[in-house]
Amino acid sequence: MIRYSRIGRCQRMGWVYARVLVGLLLTSGVVSVMADTNAAPKTHVVTIENMRFSPDALTVQRGDRVVWINKDLFAHTATAVSKAFDSHNIEPNASWTYVAGKPGEYDYVCALHPTMKARLTVL
Amino acid sequence: MKFVYTATVAALAVAAASAWPQSAAPTDPQIAAIVVTANQVDIDAGKLAKSKSAATDVKEFAQRMITDHSGVNKSATELVHKLHVKPESNATSQSLQQGGEQNIAALKKLTDGAFDRAYIDHEIAYHQSVIEALDKTLIPSAQNAELKALLVKVRPAFVAHLEHAKQLQASLGKTPE
Repeated sequence: MIRYSRIGRCQRMGWVYARVLVGLLLTSGVVSVMADTNAAPKTHVVTIENMRFSPDALTVQRGDRVVWINKDLFAHTATAVSKAFDSHNIEPNASWTYVAGKPGEYDYVCALHPTMKARLTVL
Repeated sequence: MKFVYTATVAALAVAAASAWPQSAAPTDPQIAAIVVTANQVDIDAGKLAKSKSAATDVKEFAQRMITDHSGVNKSATELVHKLHVKPESNATSQSLQQGGEQNIAALKKLTDGAFDRAYIDHEIAYHQSVIEALDKTLIPSAQNAELKALLVKVRPAFVAHLEHAKQLQASLGKTPE
């Protein structure tokens, strides 16, 4: 009796593990399906260096994150001409993140250095 | 207003031209002194313009010069400390200093539109000269790779400042006396 009972416990434990495993597989499967169909937001990097935005033209999906990283020796901004977004001063070695909102073409400049121009397109 | 910037520009022209024969190219400590002085001269002029100009765009430009050239000097100072390079005063850095002082003395005598135009004219000549000095003398002569890299890194800022100053010069030209 004792022996059988032990076996039964082992079998039950086995089922528990199996269920957990299946559960995990299902969960990861669900996640990957969501990623495929719902296009999880991406993160894009724009480097500010040598008085330029690089890349100077970037196309993103609505909801994507755009991170401007300032690698120059002084502050810059990423300021939409339409004022749809404005980082204000991004100090050297600092960054600013914008979650792309309303679709459109946004020309932007460094408000401090008017010769620095670029474009963000939100689809 | 040419006399205003003659001295500064002449100093940089010395640095830029063949006045440095191959054997007499500036050493890294001399380059460090030239860079720090060149930035400081423009910071000082910016401070004067910021307090004296009545035009918003000129004041903003002046603030930009103060901030950007201070940023360059901060990096340059950090680098020379790290490299244990002691900036060494030399004919070019001294005449830059002198030219900067003369520029400020001349600007102080001017007001309003005349001040703005003289300041911006000088900024154009100054940045052109610095770019030329960087290209012809300072960058080719720098021995330390990190010092050379810093000089290369600051060059686009001088180019952008020059463009900005030229835009301002064009807009000031349209302003009636």
